[in-house]
Amino acid sequence: MSNSLLNRLLLVAALAVAYVGVPLLFGGNAYVLGLIVAALTIAGVAVAWALLGNLGGMVSFGHAAFFGVGSYTSAVLAMKLGVPVFAAMLLGGVGAALSSIAMLPALRLRGPYFALAILAYAHIFQILATEMTPVTGGAGGLLSIPRFPKILGFDFGEKLGGYLIVLTIVVLAAFAYDAIRRSTWGLALKAMHDTEVATRVVGVPSTHLKAAMLVLSAFITGVVGAFNAHFISFLDPDYAFSSGWTVLPIAAAIFGGYRTVWGPVVGALAIYLVDQLLFKPILPHGHQMVLGVLLCAMILFSPGGLMPALRRRPVKESRHAHA
Amino acid sequence: MKRMLANLVTVSTLALSVALGAGAAQAKDFLLGSELPLTGSLARVGQGMHEGISVAVEMANRSYAGKHSFKVQTIDDETSPAKGVAAVEKLAGDGVVAITGGYGSNIIGPASEAAQKAGLVYITSGGVSPELTQRGYPTFFRINNTDGYALAMIGLLQDMGARKVSIVYLNKDATSSLAKQVNGALTAKGVTVGMHEFDGSTSDFKPLMNKVKLQDRPDAIAMVGYENDYVGILRAAKVLKPQVKAMVGVWSLATAQMAKEFPDLMETVYGTSMLPYPVEFTHPEAVEFAATYKKLFNKDPDYLGQFGYVQTRLLIDAVVRADEAGTLSKGGLPDELRKTDANTLIGRVTFDKNGDNLNFTHRMGQHQGGKVVLVWPQDAANGKMNFPAVPW
Repeated sequence: MSNSLLNRLLLVAALAVAYVGVPLLFGGNAYVLGLIVAALTIAGVAVAWALLGNLGGMVSFGHAAFFGVGSYTSAVLAMKLGVPVFAAMLLGGVGAALSSIAMLPALRLRGPYFALAILAYAHIFQILATEMTPVTGGAGGLLSIPRFPKILGFDFGEKLGGYLIVLTIVVLAAFAYDAIRRSTWGLALKAMHDTEVATRVVGVPSTHLKAAMLVLSAFITGVVGAFNAHFISFLDPDYAFSSGWTVLPIAAAIFGGYRTVWGPVVGALAIYLVDQLLFKPILPHGHQMVLGVLLCAMILFSPGGLMPALRRRPVKESRHAHA
Repeated sequence: MKRMLANLVTVSTLALSVALGAGAAQAKDFLLGSELPLTGSLARVGQGMHEGISVAVEMANRSYAGKHSFKVQTIDDETSPAKGVAAVEKLAGDGVVAITGGYGSNIIGPASEAAQKAGLVYITSGGVSPELTQRGYPTFFRINNTDGYALAMIGLLQDMGARKVSIVYLNKDATSSLAKQVNGALTAKGVTVGMHEFDGSTSDFKPLMNKVKLQDRPDAIAMVGYENDYVGILRAAKVLKPQVKAMVGVWSLATAQMAKEFPDLMETVYGTSMLPYPVEFTHPEAVEFAATYKKLFNKDPDYLGQFGYVQTRLLIDAVVRADEAGTLSKGGLPDELRKTDANTLIGRVTFDKNGDNLNFTHRMGQHQGGKVVLVWPQDAANGKMNFPAVPW
């Protein structure tokens, strides 16, 4: 069986488990389902961050900005203008994408300079959300944000509905990431990593491509932020623009393997669920430390992350079997 | 005769067994849930409330000994709204009868919403934002609110005869609401008020204090923030020495912890406090509370522990009443809690239809020589106000 076919079969099986198995197993357990939703929320941002980092070649420390803008855009549209929640969620993504346009001048910067510039932008957006009190509720934030509606008798405002929505967002984001990676754009972006000057010489519009990746990454993050606002039904600037929305997805993406499409998703599920379900009950006050050690170990022993490590193992075993 | 005696013993034994059996069937173990920030930025205040909750459970186990027993399952919400929701859902899944805890209106909001969905009572003293009770959730209760803090601050400033006041406040929901309430009340009484908002990330308060000193020239400075903010404001004031007669704050200020950690900054500063420090109790329940606190944590109780104790004790008593009425398993706890009318360590507590305690009024304490002396209102005072006086 070819690797490609095996991968497809694995993906179909994983999606079947996610869409059918998980609801059947945990549909009645609001706590576990709530944790999975929180993990998938981080996964969504992690995929968007990895898309920018891997394809765009830009390390961002400011994805909390897109998350916050997306969540506020959607919440305000739904609360103040009565926009239907699903439409508001997509418009939240559009809002975040538009906010990323303000960051385009930062594309001239590279490496740590770009990372720091985008971090500063995130802080600016947080201040704006705090100061625009009539619209955003200021530092007090917004409480009782409309939840997802009931459609054909199925309540998307409940845990299971939220799970299916965030799962679909993450799956679509990963498919988009994969599609771009396989396209000519993906080839150009990969070439840019090796030498940007050379790709420019052969006519690749590198700045445009990087800008497109930034806008797309912002859109995905904004949609995830909007989902979270309607799911948790609460927002304030500290929460919406919390550095946690940047740090955790980065940790998840690196843990899972940010150069793979599904690595960030696996990483987010692994670090969040293992931390909350396994380490927290054992070490209620120091569980984050164990997670930190685990992350360090992963970086030391498998710098590529969890997914490449999992892939390497069967190869070794098969070699051994052949020998 | 022997046979008769044997029969009598058998019948007595049987009767005793039935009586004991019946007693055992009535005795119940109640599991309470507690969701609190034990790590993260609100860890210190969460820990304070947690200690009060533990004292309430310990005292309830003593007073209901042989009849009922109580346990509390605590989950750390890590000062995160999402984890607060997860904690409530976990507690609901584990079969707790109600939830006591919560700190920070931004965490209590979504966490109490999750409790409402699960049909669980959520009682707190950690969120004073008006929006929390405006939602009208039948399962939400709190024993304190912004009004009680505002009344205490306004009352003290009025008794001081302050004609010009500068309010320096953090731009959070609870702090802004309180600052605006104090501003409105003082302005209505003809006091000139200067409002100065600051951001949570502010660490250097000298520019703001300079503005207060040169522009407002107030009689008193009212501070509405949290521990780190007070320390920053007082440090800046100590450097710039504005010509004021008093420095007045609200929560988290007139505490034993602040007296111990910042003795040079705290002297003569006012803050809300239900208790003097060292603690002086006369009421039997309060004496037992202080003794149990000392036994469990080897220290004197502070206001956080006191609030945690009161909310949990009221909850436990309502649980027992609902159980005796046979309504506990039928969702009768919110109605039973709403019937509460108790004189507690923080004064009289009753709940309105939104779960708010409209009787709540705070007291004001003043740091004096490493102690916290209650100075307002007059009937609760255990010492004299040192006025005018500032820490510099």
